[in-house]
Amino acid sequence: MTFKHLILIVTVVLLIVLPWLVSDSMLNAAILMLISALFAMAFGLLCGQAGMLSFGHAAYFGVGAFAAVHAMNAFGGEGLLPTPLLPLVGAATGLLSGILAGYFSTKRTGVYFSMITLALAELLHALAPHLKHVFGGEAGVSSFRMPAWGIGFGSFTDVYYLTLFWTLLSIGLLYLFSKTPLGRLALGLRENAHRLRFLGYNTHTLSTLIFAVSAMFAGLAGALQSLNIEAANYVVLESQISTAVVLNSFIGGVRVFLGPAIGGAVMTFFGYITSDLTRVWLLYQGIIFVLVMMFLPRGIVGEIAARIKSPSREGLAQATITMAQRIVSLGFAACGAVFVIEFLQRALSTEYLATVHDGNWPTIALFTFDWSPVSVVPWALGIGVFALGITSAVIVNRRAAARQEAQA
Amino acid sequence: MTDHILSLQNVHKSFREAKIIQGVNLDVVPGERHAVIGPNGAGKSTLFHLCSGQFAPTKGEILLNGKNIAGLKPAEVNKRGLARSFQITNIFPGVSVFENLRLAVMRKHNLQYVFWRSAARVRQVNEEIEDLLAKIRLTDRAQSLASELSYSEQRSLEIGMTLASDPQVILLDEPMAGMSHEETDYTAGLIREITEGRTLLIVEHDMSVVFSLAHRISVLVYGEIIATGTPEEIRGNARVKEAYLGEEAA
Repeated sequence: MTFKHLILIVTVVLLIVLPWLVSDSMLNAAILMLISALFAMAFGLLCGQAGMLSFGHAAYFGVGAFAAVHAMNAFGGEGLLPTPLLPLVGAATGLLSGILAGYFSTKRTGVYFSMITLALAELLHALAPHLKHVFGGEAGVSSFRMPAWGIGFGSFTDVYYLTLFWTLLSIGLLYLFSKTPLGRLALGLRENAHRLRFLGYNTHTLSTLIFAVSAMFAGLAGALQSLNIEAANYVVLESQISTAVVLNSFIGGVRVFLGPAIGGAVMTFFGYITSDLTRVWLLYQGIIFVLVMMFLPRGIVGEIAARIKSPSREGLAQATITMAQRIVSLGFAACGAVFVIEFLQRALSTEYLATVHDGNWPTIALFTFDWSPVSVVPWALGIGVFALGITSAVIVNRRAAARQEAQA
Repeated sequence: MTDHILSLQNVHKSFREAKIIQGVNLDVVPGERHAVIGPNGAGKSTLFHLCSGQFAPTKGEILLNGKNIAGLKPAEVNKRGLARSFQITNIFPGVSVFENLRLAVMRKHNLQYVFWRSAARVRQVNEEIEDLLAKIRLTDRAQSLASELSYSEQRSLEIGMTLASDPQVILLDEPMAGMSHEETDYTAGLIREITEGRTLLIVEHDMSVVFSLAHRISVLVYGEIIATGTPEEIRGNARVKEAYLGEEAA
């Protein structure tokens, strides 16, 4: 417990001093990570704790974002709704739309629930371009962050602290919520809603309320995003946003409390870095998701939590060595895979194919060297390094299994 | 009719063409342990589903304390003092035993839509959970996941959750199904203890349990009750022997 608290305090302190440690560009990435983390936490309440897999959470994120932009324009960041309080508008809008959508979608469970959430979100997304005065059409709605309470809100640092404050507050509230009777009943809904009914609970009302709370925090996250970019466009209602929050939460670990937040932050950072470096970053994101689901189905944080709870019997030292060996092996495999994927992507791109004439294949520059796609060398190198890494990982795993068998 | 705590009057239930329950009359006296026996497919589980609100009867009345509960929803039936367990273990597998009981106990204290106070700080609830844990002899396993319990421990937990709302009438659907001899004896003792001062309606296939536990027995065959009486009366009943006991417990 104390170890957990220590990590938590260190993380919060790090987040508070972050503006002194990193560049503006990284601070911007941090803002996006915080928003994504909060959005994933809102989703995690619904999916991880209450067992309702929503495929349409972009809708509540989106309405929060638009509500905040409109409120920004209406109040000019003054009076009743100064800039720092604007996220409350997103939260209120998210809550209201969550009650409405939750009432209908929680009439069904399982796959049917998911389908209704998807349909409602798609409905909104299809409707949005036609409602120009609300969603601003192609151009979207833009606004300006106005100074308030003596804070300029012009710099990344100001926006960062605003986002940090609301994210930490919301995650704290979500934690407290999980301890209340309603929060505990979310677990009951996930585990056995049928039994809950026979215990005398109204599961439809319970589901609607939990759906609404989740939508409220999603709306708050949406508002933080429009505060950050000073605009909202109906692109935020796209199913890609709904999908991203599902993937991020599962990668982090949807059943452990901070799992979705860490998944959201890590994957947003990953996207921020890789989208500048490669065109196929979404492919990498997809591969990571598939690998996590195959080998770490509890998610990254879920897996770590499980390891800490029931540590390997071979002792900390041996476990650390094994883990390091695994990471190095998989690192090799990843390098090989990235090389092949990047090389393939370049060789198959239309720009490159246009330069190919009469069977004459020019060389491709990749990682500071020039490689010919008709030569065996680059393919052998990439696949070889990949195979080496995988072989090494398999050997490490076999040895670990053999040691465990010898002990048992 | 007020001397009967639970009374079924001419209850029918059909699923399309299939007539599962055909005019059942059954009166349960306060404080008794009443068993319903009958061959497979006689409609015993359906009868329980009707009493607990899972199904609405096609025809007839079900009176709990003189008030008709036929067609009410499970949650409403539960609120009026009738709780049931299930033939298939029906618990919250992914959370702790303590949490299972907490979910069951909170309802009685009207802790449903409450999001402004901590569930762990309600002393009354905690005390009742500890009390139930002791009753079902699972105090040592309070922090284990429910899915990690042995089969008979899970059945005990199931019974504990049924007890949590402090019901007047308890319906237990085959609580000993799939148990070994020792587990059956253990659970029979447990049921005897916890039904003290309550009314029990139980469906069970283990005849030794039924005849030692029940004050009265009703025999259900093809959706009709063919006899009700004390264990001795049932044992001596010719129709019952012919229909049922003859083959299984001669």
